[in-house]
Amino acid sequence: MSELETPQAGDDRSRDDDVVALLMRQHGDIRNLFDEVEATSGEERRDAFRRLVRLLAVHETAEEEVVHPFVRRSVAGGQEIVEDRLKEEREAKEMLATLDDMDPDGPDFLPKLIELRRDVQMHARAEERYEFIHIRRSTDVTDLAAMAKAIKAAEAMAPTRPHPGVESGAKNMALGPVAALMDRTKDTVRKAMGGS
Amino acid sequence: MTFNPLEQRGIPLDRQLRNWRELNVDPIDPDRCDPYTRCRVITMNGIEVEAILFSHQLARNTVDPEIKRQLAQTRYIEAQQQKAVNWLLPGLSSVLETTIAYEQVAVDLTAWVARMEPDPYLKQAYQFGVLEDFDHLYRYANLYEMIEHRKAESIVDNLTEVMPGRPTRYHHRDPVDNVRDPYAKDQADPLSKLHALTIMSTEQQTMNFYMNTGPTYMEPIARQLYQEIGLIEEEHVTHYESLVDPGETWWEQLVNHEYNECYLYYSFMEQESDPKVKAIWELHLNMELEHLHIACDLMRRLDGREPAEVLAPRAAQRADVRAEQGLSARTARHADGPDHARRRLRARGARAVREDAGDDPRRREPAERPGDARARRHVRA
Repeated sequence: MSELETPQAGDDRSRDDDVVALLMRQHGDIRNLFDEVEATSGEERRDAFRRLVRLLAVHETAEEEVVHPFVRRSVAGGQEIVEDRLKEEREAKEMLATLDDMDPDGPDFLPKLIELRRDVQMHARAEERYEFIHIRRSTDVTDLAAMAKAIKAAEAMAPTRPHPGVESGAKNMALGPVAALMDRTKDTVRKAMGGS
Repeated sequence: MTFNPLEQRGIPLDRQLRNWRELNVDPIDPDRCDPYTRCRVITMNGIEVEAILFSHQLARNTVDPEIKRQLAQTRYIEAQQQKAVNWLLPGLSSVLETTIAYEQVAVDLTAWVARMEPDPYLKQAYQFGVLEDFDHLYRYANLYEMIEHRKAESIVDNLTEVMPGRPTRYHHRDPVDNVRDPYAKDQADPLSKLHALTIMSTEQQTMNFYMNTGPTYMEPIARQLYQEIGLIEEEHVTHYESLVDPGETWWEQLVNHEYNECYLYYSFMEQESDPKVKAIWELHLNMELEHLHIACDLMRRLDGREPAEVLAPRAAQRADVRAEQGLSARTARHADGPDHARRRLRARGARAVREDAGDDPRRREPAERPGDARARRHVRA
């Protein structure tokens, strides 16, 4: 790839006041970060992978807090739909934990990453087709905006682009900080949802 | 090339039926496949859809029930072929990603056909169309960035240029302006007939795809864009189908369809990088050879003519979806400058264009023409 650039949500100046549009763009951001991890090596790859892990953690946590409860509550058959998604998320998290323990330049890393990528992509498409479609159908604009606000608050904790001054990659690779990040995401989302 | 479909025998029709397991093909990987494999899949789906629809129209215009039954038999196999081919596309792709791949086909395959087309008037018709396909690719690329936050280059893999062209509002014409002059079936190079059929079929499938998938979008900008481009695809089908000589009999058209399928499956089999997909092209080629023989028998019986008279003795140049590879796309497309196709197509008829080109149209294929340098400057400016 000639020039690798991972866009940040908000680059296109869209108002992001629709939770479905926002989450779909995040799905794209996640794929872009997978591209970046695959295309780089060494410290660059470590850094890109760290950003991928953060975004995945924040994105999935936010969905668990905002999207799944809504679907479970408001959509016929929502319980089953959400169970399927949660199962996929659990599997992805396990694979993510395995990857987190691996050396990004080791021989097993890339095949495992590609496996994770496919699972994450299947999960994202399933959400788009079986959950998002219901959210748009059964929610009014104020709900969409409130949910978007919560997701955006969470997103601020997972920058897709590296920026200077951030802690070194190795320190963040351990799952500890990721688990803490998920907790913080939950708090942030709950606060945003409560405050709207 | 020595491949002559008329001299080859394929799989007997009664052994062509596949079971569910055989039809349940493994889809290609959306992120890691050769983008040109996906282009070949989309092309052959368009070709098979046309084969099926043409056969239905032919059956509706056929009185003899025995012949209707014969058409139904071959058509059922073709319907299976369409399923096997189109189901190679992965469910993991969004409609928008598949759309961008459709436009990659429209750009690269049409550019290839434009380059190989021996008739100067038909060549202009393809150059005219490819410019608009190029603009459509750009519009969908924009939409893809907005909705899915991904760059179209991640799909076309930098093999096809995605860059701003002209606003698509300039593509909407008076419908009568879309009707071109046909080739003359008895004088035309057989390759010209294959080209016209191929591009007509793929554009028709693009039109079908947009008219059916457009309303599945929730986003108003997407719904609007599919309507707009869908209407331009209607213009393209009108444009390309008018290139085909309407004087060909139904049976002659049937033979042309089957012959073209052999030609394309053979070409794609030779180029295919994915071994599993290559095996499908090979299998389908062997099926099509038999369909061609059946069609030839019908033409002999019902038209009293020898199919070899209307077909190419050999499939000359192989069709290729990889037109843009290793080229500056704009230079390849705008041989005489950016606006020439539109200007000349509108102002003058087929005869004038052919007269300009001199006696042998193929001699108009030099590597460098006076306009080329200018076109390149235009691109860089």
